[in-house]
Amino acid sequence: MLHRERIPLLWFFFQAVVVVAWCFTDMETGPGAGVSTQPNGDRFKIEGRAIVPGLKTQDWVSTARILVEGEEYVGFLRTDGSFAVNDVPSGSYVVEIVTPAHRFEPVRVDITSKGKMRARLVNYIKTSEVIRQPYPLQVRANGPHTYFMKRETWGWTDFLMNPMVMMMVLPLLIIVLLPKVVNTNDPEMRKEMEQSMNMLNPNPELPDVSELMTKLFSGSKGSSKAGSSSSKGTRPAVKRR
Amino acid sequence: AMARLIWLCLKCIMLYSTVQAVFEDQVGKFDWRQQYVGKVRFSHFDSHVQSSKKVLVATENNVFASLNTRTGELFWRHVDKTGPEGNIDALLQHGQDAVLVVGNGRLLRSWEINIGGLNWEIVLDSGSFQSACLVGQQDTVKHVAVLKKTIISLHYLSNGHQKWIENLPESETVDYQAVYSGGNGEVYALGVVPHSHIAIVAYSLEDGEIIKQVIQMYTPWLSNIQASCSVIDQGVLTCVDSATVSLYMLDLHLQSQMTQIPLQSLGLEVTPGFQPVLVSTQPNPARPPLSEFLLQLGPEHHLLLQLNNGHIVTLRDFKPLYVQAFLKKDDSVGYRVIVQTEDHTLTFIQQPGRVMWTREEALSDVVTMEMVDLPLTGTQAELEGEFGKKADGLMSMVLKRLSSQLILLQAWIAHLWKLFYDARKPRSQVKNDVTIENLSRDEFNLQKMMVMVTASGKLFGIDSKTGSILWRHYLNNIPSNPAFKLMVQRTTAHFPHPPQCTLLIKDKDTGLATLHVFNPIFGKKSHISPPPLPQPILQSLILPLMDQDYAKVLLLVDDQYKVSAFPSTKNVLQQLQEMASSIFFYLIDSSQGRLSGYRLRTDLSTELIWEVVVPTEVQRIVSVKGKRPNEHVHSQGRVMGDRSVLYKYLNPNLLAVVLESTDLHQERSFVGILLIDGVTGRIIHEAVQRKARGPVHVVHSENWVVYEYWSTKSRRNEFSVIELYEGMELYNSTVFSSLDRPHAPQVLQQSYIFPSSISTMEATLTEKGITSRHLLIGLPSGGILSLPKMFLDPRRPEIVTEQSREENLIPYAPELLIRTEWFINYNQTVSRVRGIYTAPSGLESTCLVVAYGLDIYQTRVYPSKQFDVLKDDYDYMLISSVLLALFFATMISKRLAEVKLLNRAWR
Repeated sequence: MLHRERIPLLWFFFQAVVVVAWCFTDMETGPGAGVSTQPNGDRFKIEGRAIVPGLKTQDWVSTARILVEGEEYVGFLRTDGSFAVNDVPSGSYVVEIVTPAHRFEPVRVDITSKGKMRARLVNYIKTSEVIRQPYPLQVRANGPHTYFMKRETWGWTDFLMNPMVMMMVLPLLIIVLLPKVVNTNDPEMRKEMEQSMNMLNPNPELPDVSELMTKLFSGSKGSSKAGSSSSKGTRPAVKRR
Repeated sequence: AMARLIWLCLKCIMLYSTVQAVFEDQVGKFDWRQQYVGKVRFSHFDSHVQSSKKVLVATENNVFASLNTRTGELFWRHVDKTGPEGNIDALLQHGQDAVLVVGNGRLLRSWEINIGGLNWEIVLDSGSFQSACLVGQQDTVKHVAVLKKTIISLHYLSNGHQKWIENLPESETVDYQAVYSGGNGEVYALGVVPHSHIAIVAYSLEDGEIIKQVIQMYTPWLSNIQASCSVIDQGVLTCVDSATVSLYMLDLHLQSQMTQIPLQSLGLEVTPGFQPVLVSTQPNPARPPLSEFLLQLGPEHHLLLQLNNGHIVTLRDFKPLYVQAFLKKDDSVGYRVIVQTEDHTLTFIQQPGRVMWTREEALSDVVTMEMVDLPLTGTQAELEGEFGKKADGLMSMVLKRLSSQLILLQAWIAHLWKLFYDARKPRSQVKNDVTIENLSRDEFNLQKMMVMVTASGKLFGIDSKTGSILWRHYLNNIPSNPAFKLMVQRTTAHFPHPPQCTLLIKDKDTGLATLHVFNPIFGKKSHISPPPLPQPILQSLILPLMDQDYAKVLLLVDDQYKVSAFPSTKNVLQQLQEMASSIFFYLIDSSQGRLSGYRLRTDLSTELIWEVVVPTEVQRIVSVKGKRPNEHVHSQGRVMGDRSVLYKYLNPNLLAVVLESTDLHQERSFVGILLIDGVTGRIIHEAVQRKARGPVHVVHSENWVVYEYWSTKSRRNEFSVIELYEGMELYNSTVFSSLDRPHAPQVLQQSYIFPSSISTMEATLTEKGITSRHLLIGLPSGGILSLPKMFLDPRRPEIVTEQSREENLIPYAPELLIRTEWFINYNQTVSRVRGIYTAPSGLESTCLVVAYGLDIYQTRVYPSKQFDVLKDDYDYMLISSVLLALFFATMISKRLAEVKLLNRAWR
């Protein structure tokens, strides 16, 4: 009892040790401060055009932006879908067209110090690989964004195609149908079945579930037809499966 | 090999499918978004069409937007780069075009305001921007003039091309401040030599030739043309001077002498100490401004004057006219006004003085927030209150229970009655407005009060379920450069004590701080008066100690390293004395690169116990992240493939210190992470990423630290994860003490490529920490990605083995994927995400998320799916129909069996 009381106390004690609070000292996180202060070095313009097939530009341009290397440089789309991002120094940039509705592939644009432009596919793993893309950029939307998962809908086909259901239904069919297909009244056939049955069943004394089942089914349905046919008659048919 | 590949694919598919996503029918069910624009700098009613419902606003957050005047909602919004490069200097509008000068005169943009698309954008010549105006001639406006420090340029409105550019004469002495055009084919540049004279240069619209140049008029009183002058009527420059209490008028065309009209001669008086303001209107740039103009003589005293053949006539005297800078007359009959108040509230008023809508633009700049549990309803509280007092006798307890049950019954009947009453009314009339009166906690504590602190000093209480603002409180003594820290001192759990939040407001320049204590549910200021804080505050910490009224103790460390407590009752001080030896805290001085740890003494003085100094010439401390105090870790270890357990190193005092090199050269820059024990100062681990630079985003939780940086070598963003493990055995499994932990933890680290830069990052948080964790990543595109932590696991194997398969580890892949299905906010993008706040709910599976930036977005996430409640798409119909079918099947088969038995008996 004493021990048990001590643990929360200890816990409390060590909780008190946790004095990890947010610090109020002010720190500056100025990432590109050094870059932006550069006085007019050579600045260049990234140009291109974005196309959403089957849609008028005025329906989507107001929601779109051009992001160059994150939000380092920002551009906007003209009413005809073309764009130009001004004031970009030489370097290598990933240019993305972002809209909430359409998906565009990003493009890497390299600008030499003399202002030569080159566009290529973005490959973050092999960064030096060059697969040329047209410049000025021609970016075509490859479909809408898929934000949503499909709900699992419930349908009869899903239910029937379920393996568990199949495993239950097929044997049932066999149980019901086989006695009708195979003529159990034929004495030759019955003999043959019994023989094969004996081979399969090592312990004939043991009661069997399938036996019970067949008894039930043949009793209800075959009572008039198969008259006095004993349960023995149907048993091999089932076991044959 | 093929088999393995297929297996890998299968595994990936399986994993992806287990990850949560939003279903389409859930849109707007648990989430909401509010979009803002920020503090308005320029606004313009779109009046070129009579029926137009648009008002254009350009804000200090570098946002240009079009608002619906009927509802206050956004038609479209364009968010430019933050900082001075996206700064909007001027907004001009003509017809369907709006012209913006951006980035201190660097760019000239023209927008088509109906679509919200760009017409054109051009780069202007360098130079500091002064003023811009539209230039018209013969009733058509075709040009825009831009005045800079040394040059004036004229551009075509249709395509932005430059028509002419001219140097301004004597620009080294004359300070050109304004540009004006009255539609007569001339463009005037107005400059002033402070405290000396005015200079006016008239350019020809056609070729930029100087037509007239006048440098004259002794005007020692004038220093700022835009503040005190305005052009009215047929080009009459009118200035107002507070020293001589006079109006000065000068006809720009005649260039005659300046005439002085003392205000006294008009029978006017200026409020002492007030700088009078002149406001004129030029409805059409191709025509001269109106002859009527407004003169503000006092804070609440405006005059409408008219210039009539050189004489000034007082038209109307408004005694208190609240409308200021954003006044614009529609026509003589009606008016519509947008008013922005000090607390950044935008109100739209239409004749006859009807408030159409208000926008709380302060919410575009949320600094910090907390989520507070809602109180129980009165009846629930009554029941709870029963358990508080134990001294009562048996009889009174029974009576009390009976009475509270009675109250509950009463409340239930009232609820039923309300349901019945509402059911009779048409659905549209039934309102389920949330007000402070009917606020109460729901079953699973999913609805909470969001307390948001904004940079303007306005506090908001927002209902997390609907997003409606329940209370607002403007603090009007906020310093100019403030830092805020919001703390919950008492939750709603301690009825009848009211919940209590404390906001620490610190002036970043002086370090002096004040406390604002309030009730987070109602927003009311508490009657408890906080202690005065005469010394600058270095550090504040909230202790798990409570006073007799269940308020957590707040410790404040001042620059003398003295500690004061709030509340500081006798009880608290006594507890502090007892606990002093186990209270540690740390201070950071980033300018000195010093990290130091202190211990509290019993007399509330402090003692330095450790110090880590980072050489500031090489690197600087960027941020320090501890763990969240309300975080729970459910499992102490991880079960390995061979059924052994790898124990986590769960040090609650661990700090992750982010260092960045001062050298930003891409070959030499680096990013470092130091893991320091906050109590002992022991450096647990140090990791350095070479050829990398910030901004570094860090999440520190459980036994892991995830950070993101920019790799300068490969020009990509990379994630790195550090996990700490004790090993196969726990040293002391009951408690963790920093002072008694002899073995250094095992450190595992792995890095990944991330195909986007990120804005902010946070981890999900749940009640008991059983649910798996996700990282919530705010992207610049506006999406909020929910990335399962299991993708950032340093134990992800490169070669798949039986054991790793057993452990459910995903094979290592260098690149992390961004799947839009993982966006918790689907297409509801959140611009400029600055912070993501996560809070646990009453359900273990559910974590509440608020992302804030320019917009606010609230939603719920289920990192391990909803395992503890029925899903919202649970098919009640199916289950009940199956049950019914089974029931009838048994009935029928029973009947059949009976018949059969009967038949058999007959046989």
